[in-house]
Amino acid sequence: MNRSLKITLAALLALVAFGGVTWCRADRTRTSDATNRGRITASIRSEPAGYNRYLTSTAAGDLLSRLTDGRLIVLNRSTDEVEPALAERWTQSADGLSYTLSLRRDVRFSDGEPFTSADVLFSARVLYDPDVASPLGASSLIEGKPLAFSAPDPWTVTVTLPSPFAPGIRLLENLPILPRHKLEAALNEKRLREAWRVGSPLSEIAVLGPFVLKEHVTGQRLVFERNPHYWRRDASGTPLPHLDGITIFVVPDQNTEALRQRSGEIDLMVNGDIRPEDYAGFKAAADQGRLVLHDAGIATDTNFLWFNLSAAARERLAWLHDPRVRQAISYAVNRQAIVDTVYLGAAVPIYGPVSPANRAWFSPTAPQYPHDRQKATALLGAAGLVDRNGDRMLDDTRGRPVRFSILTNTGNTLRERTASLIQAHLKEVGIAVDLVTIEQRAMGENIRTGEYDAVYHATQASSLDPALNLAFWSSDGSFHIWNPNQATPATPWEAEIDSLMDRQAAASSQSERQRLFAEAQRIIGEQLPVIYFVAPRVTIAVSPRVRNVTPVAQPPHVLWNAELLAVDRK
Amino acid sequence: MIDRTRIFGGTLLALILIALAAAPVLSPNPPDVLFQDLAFAPPMRPRLIDGGGIRRPFVYPWRLADDRRTLQFQPDTSRPREIAFFQDGRVASTSPEPWLLLGGDPLGRDVFSRLLAGGRLSFGVAFFAALLALAVGSTLGAAAGFAGGRTDRTITAVADLVIVLPLLYVVVTLRASLPLVLETTSIFWTMVAVMGLATWPVPARGVRAIVAAERQKPYAESAYAVGAGPLRILLRHLLPAAAGHIAIQGLLLFPAFIFAEATLSFVGLGFADPTSSWGIMLHDAAGIAAMTRAPWLMAPAAVIVLTVVAIQLVIRGSETRARPRQGLSARAAV
Amino acid sequence: MSPFATFVARRLARACVLVIVVASAAVLLVHLAPGDAVTELGLDPARAAAERSRLGLDRSFVRQYTEWVGRLLTLDLGESVRFQRPVVELLVERVGYTLVLGVAALVLALGIGLPAGVLTGQRRGDLVSRGIAAISLLLLSTPPLVTALLFLLIASRTGWFPPGGLGVADGTGPLAALEMTVRYLPLPALALALPIAASLERLQSQAVAEALRDPCVIAAQARGLSASRVIWVHAWRLSLKPVLGVLGIVIGSVLSGSFVVELVMSWPGLGNLMFEALTAQDLHLAAGCAAMGAGLLSIGLLSTDIALASADPVTIESA
Repeated sequence: MNRSLKITLAALLALVAFGGVTWCRADRTRTSDATNRGRITASIRSEPAGYNRYLTSTAAGDLLSRLTDGRLIVLNRSTDEVEPALAERWTQSADGLSYTLSLRRDVRFSDGEPFTSADVLFSARVLYDPDVASPLGASSLIEGKPLAFSAPDPWTVTVTLPSPFAPGIRLLENLPILPRHKLEAALNEKRLREAWRVGSPLSEIAVLGPFVLKEHVTGQRLVFERNPHYWRRDASGTPLPHLDGITIFVVPDQNTEALRQRSGEIDLMVNGDIRPEDYAGFKAAADQGRLVLHDAGIATDTNFLWFNLSAAARERLAWLHDPRVRQAISYAVNRQAIVDTVYLGAAVPIYGPVSPANRAWFSPTAPQYPHDRQKATALLGAAGLVDRNGDRMLDDTRGRPVRFSILTNTGNTLRERTASLIQAHLKEVGIAVDLVTIEQRAMGENIRTGEYDAVYHATQASSLDPALNLAFWSSDGSFHIWNPNQATPATPWEAEIDSLMDRQAAASSQSERQRLFAEAQRIIGEQLPVIYFVAPRVTIAVSPRVRNVTPVAQPPHVLWNAELLAVDRK
Repeated sequence: MIDRTRIFGGTLLALILIALAAAPVLSPNPPDVLFQDLAFAPPMRPRLIDGGGIRRPFVYPWRLADDRRTLQFQPDTSRPREIAFFQDGRVASTSPEPWLLLGGDPLGRDVFSRLLAGGRLSFGVAFFAALLALAVGSTLGAAAGFAGGRTDRTITAVADLVIVLPLLYVVVTLRASLPLVLETTSIFWTMVAVMGLATWPVPARGVRAIVAAERQKPYAESAYAVGAGPLRILLRHLLPAAAGHIAIQGLLLFPAFIFAEATLSFVGLGFADPTSSWGIMLHDAAGIAAMTRAPWLMAPAAVIVLTVVAIQLVIRGSETRARPRQGLSARAAV
Repeated sequence: MSPFATFVARRLARACVLVIVVASAAVLLVHLAPGDAVTELGLDPARAAAERSRLGLDRSFVRQYTEWVGRLLTLDLGESVRFQRPVVELLVERVGYTLVLGVAALVLALGIGLPAGVLTGQRRGDLVSRGIAAISLLLLSTPPLVTALLFLLIASRTGWFPPGGLGVADGTGPLAALEMTVRYLPLPALALALPIAASLERLQSQAVAEALRDPCVIAAQARGLSASRVIWVHAWRLSLKPVLGVLGIVIGSVLSGSFVVELVMSWPGLGNLMFEALTAQDLHLAAGCAAMGAGLLSIGLLSTDIALASADPVTIESA
């Protein structure tokens, strides 16, 4: 036999042998052997950049904090109610401006040290410390002023608001409790950033939450163990958490994540709600009993289209500043087509910033724009945009074609597809749209400098309570995205919304707040600086061995109450 | 001697090019129309046999299962649509109804039409970029291999720098300096330039090695002694020696550039919707759901394979030992 | 010093210069790119300014660059904003994974691609040759993302290989780590190696085919040497040159990390890190990754240049 043939065959044989050896040693059973009986595995797309919640604003950092940190109060994501945690009970002063909280006694950190009000005061210091410049601190200001904390004794904390603020005690969700005995020195020496970073010994981290981070292999996984000192017990008196531990793998690719879940290797995906096109595969697995699919309801944070309504942009595209044109755009887009085509039916049409899933605050009387091309054309005509040259595309009063660009970021398939549909629908009423897809940061820079016409993007995880979203609603807010950081309101309607939002933030009665907020929703629904199209239905896949799952639409969908989760122990 | 394999390859290539050129006529539907309820629809086969018997060629439209997310379609046998030939400027169509010869993409657009329309752009970009890379690379590589000394050192250093420079960073910065809204032509030529200029070191290295080796050979030195100028030696003797290598490099670069187009669009330098291109279509197809449930989305990959095979056949001819190199006799006639 | 040693020394020096130039270019490019590490939608301008000031991003480029160079001299590559860790730490962590994967893939690619290329280069027109050629063409015309996903799909359906990632070792110690690596390495290595093997096969095939037509080889045949000796000694040496030229680039790029394979297989390597640095506009990390990538690429180029030089010492004088 020819020598080269021999060599090639030898190489292939070696390859096969190599594969065979690996195959024999392959771990084809799931990770549910004896050592994993009380544990669950999950996957996350990116890992935390540090272990101090005050220094991060990433989803991974937030998840870490939910699993390990204790707070005075917690928000039940399912009912949106405030529940006592490290604070057993509290009273509110007559003027509504201060709360007196009674702390649980005999609670210990994971290293055995007792928890007292001194730790709460210390955490409050960190929250507002200018060197730390915590993003949590920025969201814990009322009209720019911090909350005041004081502790008359080791088991009592008094929180005073600078001015009336309806959400009140909810703000304390932004205050994970840090151990004073571990970090005070670092804070005093202005080196808090050096403490608790990735790479520092995990034994130095003391927490009050249900789990403790035992191992972090960077780029690969995070391993959590139950905190033996956790104070909480369930209704029957069993100490929580039920789980022995949680292992979270870092899996950056969505396809890989989905595959690993379907093969049973992981129990759930942390930020994984299922993509519409993957649903069929997951459904097949669910039908075989390998998965359980949960309908977590409708999302509360959605993509939306906003326009550059700054004064500088008015020169270029004056007609876009006419609310009738924006209303026409809202009529022209066929939301049901987006629901059917992009989300394969798993979404609902929406018309405003408040999703119908936000039951307490959604206003059904806000203006709606069901698909109506004739109305759109009529409105456009009223604004002076008609086809003047017979090319079936509209032209403005000066004869220039009606054309604008929509910017969106690369890497988000659903967003890009929806933008394509918007482009197609607007073409049908004669508006030409240029879709520009650029890298996320480049887009952010364009937005910052105001060099854009319109953007299709999404909000960050916003709170359900409108008083905690003033950055978006108030004209001086940094997330008032169509014209942020205004010194004085640029338009009468924005001034009106400012007044409404300030009043609802201070009002004490829920019905009064709802009334005021409904009016704000009505105004924004008429002026349409932002247009919302659809809110997706969130479906979560969990392995059948996980019990007590209460899925919610906001991430982390399942692990938000990880302490109550349990596993079938075989 | 007629090499049938070469002719076969050439014909295949020509057919592909003709199909791409004739895209508007060959597509049953316009490539940018979104058809309702046909996202991820399977290909519609042309049929001849209906329940009743044989009839003129027709297709069945697709009907959706209840839950769209299950991606299940049933042929609607109650409403066959006849295929009309040579009407409305199209060879065959069921206009205005959709005929999805290769199924529907995730937005319900006709994959076949997009394949043809996008092929023009992708093929063009890959071709011109490969041409640029080969031209620049061969020239500089030959110059380096021939001249040696400082020229060689400089060119090799520049080549190394280009190889090592992270291309994506350059593209992101480049994209920012261009206007926000780009015409398709601008995108086309920018891509050609970026890809060609980023890859020329690859053929350059190989050509340099070949030319440097050939230069030492007795025939080259004797040609020099006889008085042949350096350019003549280069063009008549040395470069032809590298021709085979250059051709193979072209073969390897072509598909690589089509894939690179998708990567470039990921950092913002790409064709904008509703323009289609193979890179974009493949990106849609590169997902577990698409690969298992809608494999027709990979149609561009099939065409790329065909094109590469065709190019290879043209370059190599049949896989049997070829006759002695013509260079021998040519060298004698310096 | 012998000419060979001068050659190597010169190339090494050039490689060092290259690394610094490329890293500087990366710093410049990231700085020129729109936005910076702090750019974020809806960020309060005052806070953004404060953060920029803290990170030193509001100073002039010259100042930032000079500071970076200064730190470079002490081998301190700065701190990554995205990961909040020293860049050196991140690089050291990840380069190990990339090298393991890269070396494994290279061994596979060279071991399969080169002999296969020699085989098909003989143009015998038999079934095996045609089959190999067909497989090569198929592999190199498929997008790398699709190839990687296909491998992943096959792995997950058959259970032959674990679908990506690196599992948890059963115990501690080097043996357990080795065993784990052996278990989790084949899939990504194959996904990375096979397309490269295909390209190498095509290149080698062409080079061997041409080498076989070279007068020296024909002369060797005429002298009565056995066919395999003709191929493996004479033709092989001739075919090396063009292949080695390109091989350097291949080696270098494999060593510096393949982004696609690393992403799909959840392999925490350099390629992935480089991309993260880009999207986060993390100046120091980007420069560090570029430097590391340049270094590894240079090693690749250098190794093949040395191999070329020893195969044909004449090329030394021009380098």
